[in-house]
Amino acid sequence: MKKVLIILALALLVVLPLTAGGNKEAKNPDTLRVLLSEEPSTGDAFTATLNKWAEETGKTLDIMVIPYDDQLTKFPLMARNNDLPDLIATTRLTRLYPEEFLDLTEYVNIDDFEEQAVMIIGQDYTTNKNYCLPYQFTITNVFYNKDAFEKAGITPPTVDDPWTLEEYRENAQILQEKGGVKYGMAMDNSRARYDNIMYMYGGSMVEKDGDSFKVAINGPGAIAALDMFVEWNNSVMPKAIWAGGTTDNPGDYFQNGDVGIYFSGTWNYNTFYQNIEGFEWGVIPSPVGPEGGSAILGGSGLAIPENAKNKELAIEFIKWFYNDTENFQYFLDRDKGLSSLKSVTYSPEDPQVVEDYKIMQAEVANVTEAFNVDESSSWRNYYDNEYRDALHQAVNGDMSAEKALTDFAEALSEKSGWPMAY
Amino acid sequence: MGKSTTVGSRRLKIAFWGFVAPSVILFTIFFLVPLVLSIAFSFTDFDGWKTMNFIGLKNYINLFKDNNFWGALGRTFVYTLFSLPFKVIIPLLIAALLCSDRVVGKGFARTLVYIPVLLSSLVVGITINWMFSAEYGLVNYLITSLGGTRLEWALNPYLATFVISFASNWASTGFYMIIFIGGIKSISNDLYEAASIDGCTSTQTFLKITIPMLAPTTFLAVLLATVNLLKEYALVQGITQGGPGIKTVFIIQYIFDRGFNSMQYGYASAISFIVMIIFALIAYAQFKFSNGGGDN
Repeated sequence: MKKVLIILALALLVVLPLTAGGNKEAKNPDTLRVLLSEEPSTGDAFTATLNKWAEETGKTLDIMVIPYDDQLTKFPLMARNNDLPDLIATTRLTRLYPEEFLDLTEYVNIDDFEEQAVMIIGQDYTTNKNYCLPYQFTITNVFYNKDAFEKAGITPPTVDDPWTLEEYRENAQILQEKGGVKYGMAMDNSRARYDNIMYMYGGSMVEKDGDSFKVAINGPGAIAALDMFVEWNNSVMPKAIWAGGTTDNPGDYFQNGDVGIYFSGTWNYNTFYQNIEGFEWGVIPSPVGPEGGSAILGGSGLAIPENAKNKELAIEFIKWFYNDTENFQYFLDRDKGLSSLKSVTYSPEDPQVVEDYKIMQAEVANVTEAFNVDESSSWRNYYDNEYRDALHQAVNGDMSAEKALTDFAEALSEKSGWPMAY
Repeated sequence: MGKSTTVGSRRLKIAFWGFVAPSVILFTIFFLVPLVLSIAFSFTDFDGWKTMNFIGLKNYINLFKDNNFWGALGRTFVYTLFSLPFKVIIPLLIAALLCSDRVVGKGFARTLVYIPVLLSSLVVGITINWMFSAEYGLVNYLITSLGGTRLEWALNPYLATFVISFASNWASTGFYMIIFIGGIKSISNDLYEAASIDGCTSTQTFLKITIPMLAPTTFLAVLLATVNLLKEYALVQGITQGGPGIKTVFIIQYIFDRGFNSMQYGYASAISFIVMIIFALIAYAQFKFSNGGGDN
């Protein structure tokens, strides 16, 4: 018995100090704890900027990584355990828990920011407060394999003369047959990428109904868009991606030269610029549908939890980052994305990048009013993955486009309390 | 005399509780408390943090009307029934083989079979994806190199389910093999000698002696394998993420989606409670059917 007690006591002696000292960094007032959404790759723009700040100020960094989706479950746990990071790169947390974050309008001049960036990333449509300041400002765009186009004898579209959806489909078929690529087209397995097609057809998730909304995702435009998308998947796209049966990244297919046209976004530009060596590639304007063009703005913002231990340090960084434009320029030159500050622009030296950048910048004009209304409804607070599952089921042929969208519309209507528009 | 008996009895009691206490404490903290909390949450609209209102039986009523719940549960049963024979028979055959006197390099072979057990589900998922990837997978590469047609692992729900089952079997064969080796080693050698004298063939010996004598071990393997298959989650996330469509969404993944992705902790708790009862009934039926692996 004595031996057992001695062993238990020794075990406690070993374990207790470990549990007590688990968070030394957080107690250091000179250490900024930063929560990022993905492991920073070599040359990552934001990590480089954080390091620059640390070097200049003599502070230290404690970077942790939790993907955006997992942040939704981890953040409440961190808040309950009083173990919050000081600075968070997030897409949705401030929208879900605004009362948990500092209003950052006190520390920066919000008029310095691009209005759309603040609106889309901040996601606050009801107050004048800004809990989330945009840093990565992105827009959907289309990449193409120049070598495959040349081989298939296809002249790429231009901003002044963009292709229609039908032309995209026809040329994808030609690319598949003559361009030496396995798939004419590919698209990220992301609801936001697909939604562009829906908006081009005049569809939308919701419609404005006075101060409230009506669920409209099963409207004729949305159904026609999904029907067409299913056909694309059955003919010129790697169907497994949108049927949801694989974890493959279509971006890898494009980088491997297996895809002619790739629907993605500006956030991939830098990666492709660094990695693709086997073939020439570029950017083309996105298609025009029966109801016009469409592009979706997005990105990530920086937020400071109200109860963060070193929130003063995070505020110091925010001021350094946004109020001194030289520092934001440093970030943007590495990010090669759109700028969320009016006074800072990315000025590439490579002439090809200049051309591509013009096309990407032109996409901003394609942002539709329907997208803005959908965003202002915050419908994703009710259901999100369920919509993606509905699209997967339609593409996989488990049910018709109409049934998939109607089932989802009914579920969203029931959860949100918004009436059905169709 | 009486006094020393009392002291001895008290010491025994202290020793008893000393040994039992760690288990009781851990069981209470990590099983009983979460179980009670989960049952309590199932009667609320708990969102995981701030909202928690008592809503009576609403979650349970919704659950019985939820086609996706029944679909996920049905797929889980089909997957379990499909995978269970392989989970038990393959390790049994490997164990029998690696206990044979005629086999050389048994230690090395056992280690080789056991290594996948040491891998995390994530690593198993990555390895299996590398083999069965729709586009760049090794298996499809070999098939096409031999002149065959690529198999649509990610599009055909049966093939997708097979891949998960294959991964699950690969990762657990070593574990069940060890259990069976222990069982085989505990069978008295006298029985095999008697069978040999009576002129039994190897097959007859295996079927008439090894298999019946392994009944309690087999029962344990079947019970553990059934419960593990019913709870399959990490591999599904790592390999198919529930696709194609929602054809490989099993019940634990469905609970996870409701709870952590849709923030419906209350509803997820209600599903968990019902599922726990169903799983317990299955385990009870197995006990009854096989008499706990003992003699009938």
